[in-house]
Amino acid sequence: MLRSFSSSFHRLSLFMASEKTQRLHQITGTNFQNTSKRPKTMSIATDTATVTDSAMKEPFTKYTEYLNNLNDKRERVVKASRDITMNSKKVIFQVHRMSKYNKDEVLEKAEKDLAAVTNQHVSRLVKELQGTDFWKLRRAYSPGIQEYVEAATFCSFCKNGTLLKLDEINKTLLPLSDPSLQPLQINILDYILGLADLTGELMRLAIGRISDGELEFAEKICSFARDIYRELTLVVPHMDDSSDMKTKMETMLQSVMKIENACFSVHVRGSEYIPLLGSNDPSSFLVGVPDIEL
Amino acid sequence: MAFSSAPDPSLEKQFGEFRTHLEQSGTLRDRIRTVVSEIESTTRLMYASILLVHHSRPTPELLEKAKSQIDVLKEKYKQLADILGGYPGQYYRYHGDWKSETQTVVSMLTFVHWLETGKLLEHKEAEEMLGLNGPEFNLDVEDYLVGVCFMSNELPRYVVNQVTAGDYDCPRNVLKFLTELHAAFRMLNLRNDLLRRKFDGMKYDLRKVEEVYYDVKIRGLTPNGESVADQGIKGQS
Repeated sequence: MLRSFSSSFHRLSLFMASEKTQRLHQITGTNFQNTSKRPKTMSIATDTATVTDSAMKEPFTKYTEYLNNLNDKRERVVKASRDITMNSKKVIFQVHRMSKYNKDEVLEKAEKDLAAVTNQHVSRLVKELQGTDFWKLRRAYSPGIQEYVEAATFCSFCKNGTLLKLDEINKTLLPLSDPSLQPLQINILDYILGLADLTGELMRLAIGRISDGELEFAEKICSFARDIYRELTLVVPHMDDSSDMKTKMETMLQSVMKIENACFSVHVRGSEYIPLLGSNDPSSFLVGVPDIEL
Repeated sequence: MAFSSAPDPSLEKQFGEFRTHLEQSGTLRDRIRTVVSEIESTTRLMYASILLVHHSRPTPELLEKAKSQIDVLKEKYKQLADILGGYPGQYYRYHGDWKSETQTVVSMLTFVHWLETGKLLEHKEAEEMLGLNGPEFNLDVEDYLVGVCFMSNELPRYVVNQVTAGDYDCPRNVLKFLTELHAAFRMLNLRNDLLRRKFDGMKYDLRKVEEVYYDVKIRGLTPNGESVADQGIKGQS
């Protein structure tokens, strides 16, 4: 009996020399099942091991608590970030509803909606991101904050024609926190990333304004988008995670060029230029394409 | 149609400030990376010393040699702490730059500590060893836990070589330790990340050690190196 044990375990020793841990796992499983007369004393099932007497219990209880708190907090931050994203997108859609005649009402509503995002959702981040958590949990909230920056700068441009600066947007966040807490301040990276996405919306807006005949507005948008792109070219190479930004810069240039091409077409054709219905879609291949001369 | 041509000065000012800030951050990161690559080479030296435990039974001299690198590491981490001293709260902004090196450092410290004492080096003990118990620059708990998992990966090889070198008691000790460690890790609620994957790997380490233990036990190899069968024959003649 001992001999059959001996040979089967000898085979195991040979297999152990190989690196194939997965296969090893399967083989040990089979062997233990075949050798049904294996004495119970040898079965050190990991399931029955307890930590009750171990010196490891106390420190691991602390680690468990630490991880539970961290993961719960991360959950809350992700949820807040998602709500910020969703509602910021709504603000952006609201701004796009703008036409020649309803600008003020549309923008007023957009601002109110943005304020709601700030007060109801961005505020949830304040107490979660105190101290080192601000940078620790950045991956959890960054997408939401970027969308928020996009929405806020978009609204601000449509209203004032200028770029909402980082310190201006951060001023609006100060009232969200109790003076005893560290105020939530958007960091430079998230601001820049949000700004990169803004040009996409500017492009949609420019095309929309052109089709409404608001050519001067479109040119303002063109100039603004160009300025942002130009400023960013000097800043992007120094960013912490510059690879994301590099892709965004390529997309941004495409957006800027689409706006420029649209403005060019208008400029060349003057009042002749009426975009075909349905080609307001900025990704339409018709945008910027010359009309067929009959 | 008039185009506005002069760039908005407030725009220029903001982005100028951004550039300055980001250039500073980039310089900081370069300084951090220099120190971290020194940590990496010190760690390699330490590991080369530790690898000698696989070649024979560990001696106090061997462990002393490995431990001598700890002071060097402590000095390096102090340099990192000093670099970041001017930027409070930003530990995690740059944490990625020393994360995996730190995990390796922890795996070595815990392994050496286990070789010396048979016990698991706790997080706060590891922090103290590396001088990371200051107010700002600490040892991240998850880095510590991942480091411990890396340490467990060394144990199967260690136990195989110790048995070959004649230490038949080793498997029992390693098995007891690793079983406890695995059970302790099971207390944690892990997400699907690196720590979780490393913990999943630990059970393979445990299985391998179990097999060595059985191999030794069923042959009746006693701690003094003789098999029970040999003793039986000797008794008869």
